Amino acid sequence: MRLPPQPGEAIDRAEEVVFVFNETRVSAFRGDTIGSALYAAGRRVFSRSFKYHRPRGLLCCTGHCPNCLMTVDGVPNVRVCTEPVRQGAIVKSQNVLGSLEFDALAITDRIGGPFTPVGFYYRTMIRPRRAWPLYEKFLRNVAGLGRIDPEAATHRRYDVEHRRARVLVIGGGRSGREAALTAAAGGPGVVLVDETSRLAGEKLEGVEVLTSARAIGLYEGGLVPVDAGGVLYRFRAERIVIATGSVEQPLLFPGNDLPGIVLPSAARRLIRDWSIRPGRRAVVIATDGRGLDVVADLESAGTEVVRVVDLRERDLSSLEAEGRKGLRRVRVDGEAVDCDLAVVSGGRQPAYSLLAQIGARVEYDAGRGVFVPTSLPAGVEAIGSVTGAGLAQRVPKPAYAGGKGKCFVCVCEDVTGKDFDRAIREGFDSIELAKRYTTVTMGPCQGKLCHLPSIRLYAQKTGVDEAAIGTTTARPPWGPVEMGLLAGRHLEPVKRTSLHFRHEEAGGQMMWAGAWKRPHSYGDAAAEVRAVHESVGVIDVSTLGKLIVEGPDAATFLERLYPNRFADLRVGRIRYGVLTTDGGRIMDDGTIARLSDERFYVTTTSSGSEAVNEWFEWWNAIWRYDVEIVNVTGALAAVNVAGPQARDVLARLTDADVSNAGLSYLDARELAVAGVPCLALRIGFVGELGYELHFASPAAEHLWDRLVAGGARPFGLEPQRVLRLEKQHVIVGQDTDSESNLISAGMPWIVKLEKDDFVGRGAVELARERGIREQLVGFTMPDNALPAEGAQVVVAGRPAGRVTSARLSERLGRVVGLAWVSPEHGEGDEFQVRVDGIERTAKVALAPFYDPSGEKLRS
Amino acid sequence: MTELAFLSPDRCAPEVKLASPLARVAVRDLFGIGVLELRGELPSSVEAGEELVRLTPDRALLVTAGSPAVARERLRGPGTRVYDLTAGFAALEVEGETLFRRLTDLDPAKLPAAGPVARGVGGVVTRTASGTFCILVPQEYGHYVAEVVLDLQQGLA
Amino acid sequence: MSFLLPCPHCGPRDVNEFATTGEVLVRPKGKPSITELTDYIYFRRNVAGVQREWWYHRQGCGTWFLAERDTRTNEVLKVELPG
Repeated sequence: MRLPPQPGEAIDRAEEVVFVFNETRVSAFRGDTIGSALYAAGRRVFSRSFKYHRPRGLLCCTGHCPNCLMTVDGVPNVRVCTEPVRQGAIVKSQNVLGSLEFDALAITDRIGGPFTPVGFYYRTMIRPRRAWPLYEKFLRNVAGLGRIDPEAATHRRYDVEHRRARVLVIGGGRSGREAALTAAAGGPGVVLVDETSRLAGEKLEGVEVLTSARAIGLYEGGLVPVDAGGVLYRFRAERIVIATGSVEQPLLFPGNDLPGIVLPSAARRLIRDWSIRPGRRAVVIATDGRGLDVVADLESAGTEVVRVVDLRERDLSSLEAEGRKGLRRVRVDGEAVDCDLAVVSGGRQPAYSLLAQIGARVEYDAGRGVFVPTSLPAGVEAIGSVTGAGLAQRVPKPAYAGGKGKCFVCVCEDVTGKDFDRAIREGFDSIELAKRYTTVTMGPCQGKLCHLPSIRLYAQKTGVDEAAIGTTTARPPWGPVEMGLLAGRHLEPVKRTSLHFRHEEAGGQMMWAGAWKRPHSYGDAAAEVRAVHESVGVIDVSTLGKLIVEGPDAATFLERLYPNRFADLRVGRIRYGVLTTDGGRIMDDGTIARLSDERFYVTTTSSGSEAVNEWFEWWNAIWRYDVEIVNVTGALAAVNVAGPQARDVLARLTDADVSNAGLSYLDARELAVAGVPCLALRIGFVGELGYELHFASPAAEHLWDRLVAGGARPFGLEPQRVLRLEKQHVIVGQDTDSESNLISAGMPWIVKLEKDDFVGRGAVELARERGIREQLVGFTMPDNALPAEGAQVVVAGRPAGRVTSARLSERLGRVVGLAWVSPEHGEGDEFQVRVDGIERTAKVALAPFYDPSGEKLRS
Repeated sequence: MTELAFLSPDRCAPEVKLASPLARVAVRDLFGIGVLELRGELPSSVEAGEELVRLTPDRALLVTAGSPAVARERLRGPGTRVYDLTAGFAALEVEGETLFRRLTDLDPAKLPAAGPVARGVGGVVTRTASGTFCILVPQEYGHYVAEVVLDLQQGLA
Repeated sequence: MSFLLPCPHCGPRDVNEFATTGEVLVRPKGKPSITELTDYIYFRRNVAGVQREWWYHRQGCGTWFLAERDTRTNEVLKVELPG
């Protein structure tokens, strides 16, 4: 029943808002919540409980308990007691088979008790095992509360914003507001956040106030994520003041879950905020002054207060509530009192969770029967009732005896006092175990209303005192958070070369290669392979890592880092280098070109550029050589022009001498191509005459266009894979893994042990002495079966290695590949490879399949 | 050809049309500026149109309003190594304090600074005279970062 | 993990801007035995207390430096540049 207008009410009676509840139109005022509007319209049953489907009504009106959960505009599990009304909102009840008034699943309450005690799912629905799909279907339908509607598809935008505060005050009650004002007197940068939608009190000068903003956790480094619905504010605060207050606690007695039994906060808000008379005849039972204060509110609202019990004066010996779908009467010490509203309060428990998350200790105060935070870490303060200040309350009985009705410890999960007895009998003798077994505190309220009562009850039943029992671990989030908010925007970092759009325009099938996008091919990988073998192709290799290493100690530095020799590399020449870890494992490979006495140009694999740069920088942080390491990976684009006609194409675009004598195999030369200064490296990954051009990336499209116009056919990663495999070129990370070493990978010639120390030297020496346990070899498949990458090598029925790469080479007319096999295999030996579950024969081939002498490369 | 000419876009012949990494995305592109990395002895002052961003006591970026060619030659010396990294960066101009705070957790009061933008891309941020932000990121990430900026602008519209 | 690591050049930054190689190790001199090598590659002291570590400001200034961090509380007691 709506009361006449009163000062301070939250509703604006001039603005009507209409929404739909279960197909009925409901009229409300701006400032109402969906819950208050439904209550004003006469609704008392708001939900059905999780397990027993018992009728439940408004209990807290502060968004803590589960009793008002409904589905709003397709979003399940919305607490309607705090959800502001919206014009045209579609509100539906949930978790019922039938209606809120007549829920068929309430049968579990009447007869299910013996079949659904605590932990019943550990004992039932196990056999017969083949009936599990049936059990699962049943359980999925009855478990949970709300249901996600795939049609409703809420497309909500979530953003993350980084904020800084000198002082962050969490909680906008009286203490929080005072602390914020005090802090603001000391300068700017004071922010106050509160989870409710409107704050009482006057405007706070010099304080930035964020409402509907819930601090969901406290993390190290003064990090406080604040959930403001569509924005997650990631606050870094120098000082954090916790003023989160305390949470009203229920009393435990038979029938304590009936609609009509409310906490003082609910009665207060219904009357003061929404001007609603909460009931006709009320009983008030409280352990503290704040609970009893509500009597005055009730009387001013026209409710007849028929009985007031102040537990501070005298405790009760028994208490119970009776009713069917709503409260009808309470029995106080056996005496029946008819009523439709009971305001009960078991005192207030400090909301210490954020403090506990950041390392505060939590201790039991026996005098007031609550847990309070102590020993706060630096940078964190607590004020107000969260510290226990101002809480003057009598400790109620853990549970009051009464009739045979169910006494609920946890209304979220329907855990009763009897469930606790059973858990203790079954040996769950610590609060952490009891929590996990009974699931108390694991429901929507997350312990706000049941953690303290459950500890008190546990203490009573086991005889262990509360201080010794302690609390369970407090974890974020403090309130429910939408998954989308934690996910934020779903743009993921992607690296594009300066030729990316040329590839797309040419029909390139772009694929992920690590963090890069690269073309798999341009639609006809076989034709691209043929172009490289027969005329000329061009591939974008801009993704290669590129480092300039220069300085007086550059050669020394590289000598000490690589197993190779570099001190004797002549200016203008290139050498293939393999980087090893100090454990002698292959880490990366690339080419090293000497551009001058003190200048080297190092390339790395595409996925290794950052790691190699870090590696170089780290070793030099230790050795402190006079050398500069400059990462030019993105600054330089690179293309590889390869094929018998590569020289012709290049010669038409440059004045430099690119004859075989002028620019020989493994030469490095700076020259201009199509007006673009380049570093030309004559190397051969794909087995044909080839030139790798490195140049400033803004010139890439220009140079590419000229090369393509000159006859070079673009080719992608797939043809490159085939071509390199024909030459048995190893790809680090594809054909090697984190255990491979140079000896086993077939590159013993790289290691120059005559040198002084280098990274991995000791390990390589040991590998040489101890022998290898596997070796990387080339192989062919006589019957042309194509093994998958990773296919097992099988010897005498046991796994004995794996295939790392395999392709059908059109040029060679055979399937070729690389595989790890045992060391005894030699040229021409056979081994078995599992292809599609059948073992097929493979033959070892140690020399490159195509052009083994490398004539084409050197032509 | 003088040293490391292949790094510098301004060394290309006049007929070479240079393309920005942000050419295909609608943000305020600052393509045409120069970026030099200086190592060793850092200059105590710079010319008009130049901004020095100190990263460490012996490493800095020099951002030039136009071509870096003059600064490149001027600053090369016995104690200072100069690397033309102009081609390595995408540069965009971004406006708005809220947008900035959603793009990066760098402190807007402590610029210029090197730090992550757009979920983990290491960049360098400076503040222009008019109060807008100049964001330098590795050019391979340029298009992605620009898309993030456009998305954030949409969210704030 | 969200503690702030004070980079010697850039000041306090979110630890996720950095990479680490973990505790500072003593590299075996000369040719190690298989035990010495295995210890060096795979074993760590892993103290519950102050640990000296290498950190790299990967998303910032790109400098390698040393830090002393209490592994129990993530409090960084000291940072210094090598050499």
